[in-house]
Amino acid sequence: MCVRVLLVEDDERIRQALSLALSDEGFTVDEAGSGEEALPRLETESFDVMLVDLTLPGMDGLEVVRALRSRGDLPIIVVTARTDARDVIAGLEAGADDYVTKPLMAGVLAARIRALLRRRGPGREAVRIGELEIRPQEGLVHRAGERVHLTRTEFRLLLELAGASGRIVTREQLLQKVWGYDYFGDTRLLDVHIRRLRRKIEANPDDPELVLTVRGTGYRIRS
Amino acid sequence: MRLTLRCRVTLSFGFGLLVVTSVLAFATWNLASGYMLRQREASATRQAEVNVRLVERSLASPGFDELLTGLTTGPDSSILVMSPEGLVTAGRKVEPSQLPAGLVEHPPGKERITVDGLPMLAVARPVAGNAVYVELFGLQQLNRTFAFLSAVLIAGTIGSALLGAALGSWASKRALKPLTELNCAAGRIAGGDLHARLPDQDDPDLAALAAKFNSTAQALEQRALRDARFASDVSHELRSPLTTMVNAGAVLRRRREHLPGTAGTALELLTSEVDRFARMVVDLLEISRADQTDDPAPEEIALDALVRNVIATRAPVPVALEPAVVQGDRRRLDRVLTNLLDNAERHAGGAVLVSVRTAGTSARLAVEDAGPGVPEALREEIFERFARGVMAGSRGDDTGSGLGLALVRDHVHRLGGRVWVEDREAGGSRFVVEMVLRSSDG
Repeated sequence: MCVRVLLVEDDERIRQALSLALSDEGFTVDEAGSGEEALPRLETESFDVMLVDLTLPGMDGLEVVRALRSRGDLPIIVVTARTDARDVIAGLEAGADDYVTKPLMAGVLAARIRALLRRRGPGREAVRIGELEIRPQEGLVHRAGERVHLTRTEFRLLLELAGASGRIVTREQLLQKVWGYDYFGDTRLLDVHIRRLRRKIEANPDDPELVLTVRGTGYRIRS
Repeated sequence: MRLTLRCRVTLSFGFGLLVVTSVLAFATWNLASGYMLRQREASATRQAEVNVRLVERSLASPGFDELLTGLTTGPDSSILVMSPEGLVTAGRKVEPSQLPAGLVEHPPGKERITVDGLPMLAVARPVAGNAVYVELFGLQQLNRTFAFLSAVLIAGTIGSALLGAALGSWASKRALKPLTELNCAAGRIAGGDLHARLPDQDDPDLAALAAKFNSTAQALEQRALRDARFASDVSHELRSPLTTMVNAGAVLRRRREHLPGTAGTALELLTSEVDRFARMVVDLLEISRADQTDDPAPEEIALDALVRNVIATRAPVPVALEPAVVQGDRRRLDRVLTNLLDNAERHAGGAVLVSVRTAGTSARLAVEDAGPGVPEALREEIFERFARGVMAGSRGDDTGSGLGLALVRDHVHRLGGRVWVEDREAGGSRFVVEMVLRSSDG
């Protein structure tokens, strides 16, 4: 399987170095210097994952992420030089699946990409939780008969929670299973995704009935 | 020891009021007692005059004794009529020898005397040529009044001195309140809280001080922020070229076998230094951010579970964990433990025990190693930024950024805890992080 990566980064040197290193890791890397250049290419070509620098000239990285997310569930990793909570959260809220901070190493990035693209294990039965129906094989989620569009990451998050059938899943487990983080720590990533997931599947996201928070530990799904 | 300002103000208020009221009380005493005594003397003299006239008229009459008895005014009073024919007395028994000789020999006159322990006023008048009439008036009543008056005056004096002291204490407390606030704010700034300010003062005397203090604090805060921002900007700017270098290095490293000999060694040197450089920049950025970023709301963290999670991602280390829940930021705690473990690996051949123990109201996370230990003199220093020089002997292939332990200290302080290093009984050192325990029920 050859994974095609679209790298949107305005610094040409970084773009080249990353491109070389990622190619070494076995990816096919396409480069774009700006959001304006990247978006039209997505119309005609298909990619498996997008890497977007948040600080782009012209069209801002966040706008690129938002535009992409509105079109589909292509996995997006944002690259940021700033690790301030605000930037990271803004990127994740805009729809990114994961983030890496500079100076990023191709090895780390490759692990992230692989984790994002990892498919679910084979054959699982459809799960029903209240009005929610999850069909793992088709990757579909319905709420009261109506299709809910989840990104791949949101879908896997939901599956991990549903798979525990009501037991508590710790933050560390979720980060490890969904994002492949062997080093836990940044739970903002998880928090933002849980928030996004709730917005899509809960009747009232502020008063969740399906994805419940277990204070200090993690989350569990209503069984 | 010098007394505090408050103490001195209190004492001077009390002492001042004591002096003023004692002077007043003394004057009152003198005026009142003198006046009362004069009144008593005047009335006694008047009565004696009247009595003398009566005595003169009936000096030779037969009912003279009865008359004298009738003239006495109470159990304490006595009348003596001394004439060449003899002595006639009435009332309380008093010997003429008990009377002052001057008074008896040269009437008229009056004098205060003490007879049988009782205060008396003696009034002498000449009667019918060569006889002397002496009447003694008891003064106990007056003395009791004096005693009462002096008691009242003394109590009043003491009371007002105490009131003065209380007033002084209250006034000084009020006057010094801005100073207390100043002290408090200065203490907070010294403790690292650069946001501390004095409240606005409406008193013109204090407003200037408060404004000056606040502007100084403001300048200090801005300067600290500028310094932190500079470090942050520098490391931020370094990130982009570093990304290029690190990734180009990774590409080169993969082709190491194509570069034999000197070029290969040089490549290895280059790439490992670039990696270290990258770590340093990341740590530097984190340390410069440590003062700026607003932490997420603190959450409850099970310390034992956190340790297990961190250790699960690393080479196995023996653990001894008691359940302990602390309040804080997960990311910081995680970083603290990781850095301590990294430090043990780098300088002491790896941690030999990680423990979580509770003691009273605190939880202690300890990372122990069996390395060379940390000399007493360096135990503070190793937590300084770039303090690597102090461990000169341990510079190996994989030296850290020099910021690892400084970051530990910054994070621990942010978490409201303490960190120190001590000797381990069996050799080596023990790094201890102490935090306030939320609960131990895990």
